[in-house]
Amino acid sequence: MFYVSIFFQYMAQYMKTKLQYRADLLVEFISDLMSQAVNLVFLLVVFGHTSLLHGWTRDEILFIYGFFLVPYAVFGAFFNLWDFNERYIVRGEMDRVLTRPVHSLFQIILERMELESLLGGVTGIIIMAYASARLSLSFHWYDILMFILFVLGGAFIYAGVFVSLATISFWSDARTSIMPMMYNISNYGRYPIDIYHRVIRYILTWILPFAFVGVYPASYFLGKKEWYGYAFFTPIMGVIFFGIAVVLWNAGVKRYRGAGN
Amino acid sequence: MNAIEVENLRKEFKSYSSRSGLIGAFRDLFTRNYKIIRAVNDISFTVKQGEIVGYIGENGAGKSTTIKMLTGILTPTAGKVIVNGMNPHKEREKFVRTIGVVFGQRSQLWWDIAVQESFRLLKKVYRVSDEDYRQHMEHIIEALDIGPLLDKPVRKLSLGQRMRCELAAALIHNPPLLFLDEPTIGLDVLVKLKIRQFLKEINEKYNTTILLTTHDISDIEALCERVIMLDEGKIIYDGSLKRLKEKWGEGKQIQFTFAGEITFHALRELTNGLQVIWKKGEQDNVWTAQVPSALLPEVIGRVVARYSIQDMNINEISTEEIIRNIYEEGVVHG
Amino acid sequence: MDKYIEMIRIRFLMMLAYRTNYYTGILIYAINIAAYYFLWSAIYGSKSTMQGMSMAQMTTYVAISWMARAFYFNNIDREIAMEIKEGRVATELIRPYSYLGMKTMQGLGEGIFRLLFLSLPGIFLVALFLPLRFPTDVHTWMFFTLSIALSFIINSELNLLAGIIAFFTLNNEGLLRAKRFVIDLFSGLILPISFYPDWAQEAMKYFPFQGISYIPSMIVTGSFQGQAILHGLLFQLVWCVLLLIPIQLLWRAAKKQLVIQGG
Repeated sequence: MFYVSIFFQYMAQYMKTKLQYRADLLVEFISDLMSQAVNLVFLLVVFGHTSLLHGWTRDEILFIYGFFLVPYAVFGAFFNLWDFNERYIVRGEMDRVLTRPVHSLFQIILERMELESLLGGVTGIIIMAYASARLSLSFHWYDILMFILFVLGGAFIYAGVFVSLATISFWSDARTSIMPMMYNISNYGRYPIDIYHRVIRYILTWILPFAFVGVYPASYFLGKKEWYGYAFFTPIMGVIFFGIAVVLWNAGVKRYRGAGN
Repeated sequence: MNAIEVENLRKEFKSYSSRSGLIGAFRDLFTRNYKIIRAVNDISFTVKQGEIVGYIGENGAGKSTTIKMLTGILTPTAGKVIVNGMNPHKEREKFVRTIGVVFGQRSQLWWDIAVQESFRLLKKVYRVSDEDYRQHMEHIIEALDIGPLLDKPVRKLSLGQRMRCELAAALIHNPPLLFLDEPTIGLDVLVKLKIRQFLKEINEKYNTTILLTTHDISDIEALCERVIMLDEGKIIYDGSLKRLKEKWGEGKQIQFTFAGEITFHALRELTNGLQVIWKKGEQDNVWTAQVPSALLPEVIGRVVARYSIQDMNINEISTEEIIRNIYEEGVVHG
Repeated sequence: MDKYIEMIRIRFLMMLAYRTNYYTGILIYAINIAAYYFLWSAIYGSKSTMQGMSMAQMTTYVAISWMARAFYFNNIDREIAMEIKEGRVATELIRPYSYLGMKTMQGLGEGIFRLLFLSLPGIFLVALFLPLRFPTDVHTWMFFTLSIALSFIINSELNLLAGIIAFFTLNNEGLLRAKRFVIDLFSGLILPISFYPDWAQEAMKYFPFQGISYIPSMIVTGSFQGQAILHGLLFQLVWCVLLLIPIQLLWRAAKKQLVIQGG
C-alpha cells in the first residue's frame, strides 16, 4: 500500500515537471510516432511486393505490430533505463537513491517515468483495430482480460531483460552500448516466429523472449491455435524474467562502488 | 546507547590500470591489470548518542567511503558496522529511515520542482505523519530561514539557499543521526555561521548525533568536541579537539621579518639545541619559528641579538596548522 | 594534420577501453543480420528475384549494410549537442583547431576501430552461417572502398548538421532521435531504395540519405554495374560538397550566438 501511495506522489510531481516543458512533450511524441512510422513503412513496402510472409497476411502482421506497441509503450513509460549507467553510476545519483527508505529499483522507475510513452500504446491499439476490422476478427468479453494479462506479461519480459542489462553497470565500470543494440533484437519478436531458423526461434523464446511481447500473445487474438500454448505462457515468462532481474539487481546493489572512487 | 559502532571495518576496491600505448591497449582487451586498494583499513570507533564528531582527513583518506558504509550505500568488505542498532546494508530500507544524509556536492532535492514539493514527496517517502511534519518542520524552516524559498524550483536557488534546503530535507523525518559530507563546501561565511548555529541547536534540542566531514577546520572548531582523523584509510587520531590542541598546539609561532635575506642554515645553527621548527615565509627575509612556550624568550633573545629585525609577530598555532603538522609527521600517539 | 591524426589515435584508444562493447557488439550485429536474412527469406518465399535482386544478393546486401553501418555510424551529433548545451564548446573554440574537423576525426577514429574489430570479425562470423557472395573483381572492391568513405563523410556531415541545429532548438533528444529514424529508413539500411514505390524513389533522389548505405551496398552486391556505379559515386560526391554549405552557414550563426550568450 505504501508503494502505491508513493507511486501516486511521484506521478503528481512528474506531471508538474512535465507541464513546465510542454514543447519537449510534443517533440518526444512526434519522434515516437516517427519510430513507429519507420516500422510501418517497412511492412507496407514489403507487402507491396508480396502478399504472404510465410503464410501470414499483411493484416495479421500489422496486428502483431500493433499489439507489440502496447506492452512496449508500458515498458517505455516505466523502465526508462537507457542512461542508467551514466546517470546513476557514473554521476553517483545512486548514492542518493540508496539513502532513501524505498526499494532502489522502484525509486529509479518512479524518478525516470516517461508517461508520454503510453501514447505509443494508443497508436498500437489503433493499428490493431484497423487490422482486426480488415480481418473481421471477433472478440469475447474475456479477451480484454487476456489482453491486459498479455500486455503486462510482455512489459515485464521487456523490463526483465533491460533491468538485467542495467545491472551490468554494478559489475563493470565500462560504458556499454548493449542496451541500444538489444533494442534492435527486441524488434524481431514482432515478426512471425516461424520464419526464423530454430536457433533464433529458441533464443527469442527462451533466452531473450521477445517473441512473448509480440507474435505469441497476438496469435491468441488472431485465432492461430497452434501458438496458444505459448500465448498463455506470456504472463508466466513475465514473472520469471522480471523476478530474475530483481534478484540480479539486489545482488548488484551490494556490489555498488559509489561514485568518485 | 551508542549511535555508531564500528569494528575492524574494511573496504577494498579493485582498481584497474591501463597499459600505455596502442599495444598496451590491445593487451587490455584481453587481460587487465588491477590492484586491490584498501580505501578503509580496519578502523574501529564508537559514537555515543548526541555527540558531534568531526571526521577529517585529506582527499582520498577514506572519509567518504566510511560515511557511505555507515549510511548503507556501500557494503563493507569486512568488519562490523552497527548504526542505530542495525546493520546498514542488511536492513537498508528500515535503517535509512533513522538517519539523515546531506552530501554537500550532490543535491537530494528534485531539480525542476519547487522546494516544498520535494519536501512533500520526502514526507511521503519517510512516512511522516502530517502532525509530526507540521510540528517539526515549522521550526526547522524558521530556524534555517527558508520560508521564502519554498515555492521556488531548486534550480533557481543559490548554493547557500540550496544547502539550507538540503539540510531541512534531510531532517524531515527528524532522524536521531545525521551524516553531513562537506556541508559547507563553497558557502560564504554568513551561511556557514547560520548552518553551524542551526546544527548546534538541533543537537541540543533533539540530542541528534552528528557526524560530519569537512575541509573547513573552522566548522570543526565551531561544532565538534571530538575529532576522528583519517590518513590512508587508518585512524590516526581519535579524541577531543582540546587534547589535540594541547598536545600539538602547545607553544607559539613567531614570525620574524629580517632586514635582509637569511638562510635556513644560519637560523638552525643559531637555535641549535633548542626545540624549534623553522619555516620560510612568503619572502626570503620572512621566517616563522614554532617554539614551545617556555623557550619563547630564549629564541627571541638569540635572534634579536644576532640579526636586525624589521617586524615580529607572536601567534597561537591554529588548528589547521596543527592538523597539517600531524599529516606531515604521521601518526599521533596518544 | 598531426593533431587530427593524434585525435584519431586517441579515439581509437578510448574505444579499446570500452572492450565489453566489442564482444557483445559482434554478436548482436550478427543476430541483426541473421534476423533480417530470415525475414527476407520469408519475403522472397519462392520468388527468385525481387526488384532485380536475387536472394543471394539480398543476403549480401543486408550483411554489408549492417557492417558498413558500424563504420559510418557515430554519435558526434549527440556529443556536439551536449557540449553546446553544457557550454563546453566555448573552451573548444579557443583551441587551435577546427572544432567540427576535430569531431569528424573523432568519428573517423571510432569508425576505423569498429571496422577492424567489429565489422571484419563480424562479417567472417556471419559468412560461416549465411550464404554471402562477395565480388571477386578488384575494381568492385575499389569502388566500394571509395563509396564507403563517401558514406562516412555524408553521414558525418549530417551528424554535424544535426548537432549544430540542436543548438538552436530546445529539445535535442527528440530531434536527434527523429534524425536517426529518417536515416535508418531512407538510407537503405533496412530496405533497399529500389523496393520503394516509384514516386518515393523519385523523391529520394533529392535527398542525400541513399548515399549513406544504399549506394555502397548496391555496388558490393553487384546490383550496380558500369554506368550505375559511376552515377552512384557522383551522387555521393555531390552531396559531400553540397552539405558543406549549410554546415558552414549554420555553424557561423551558432558561433555568433555563442559569443553573444557567452556559451
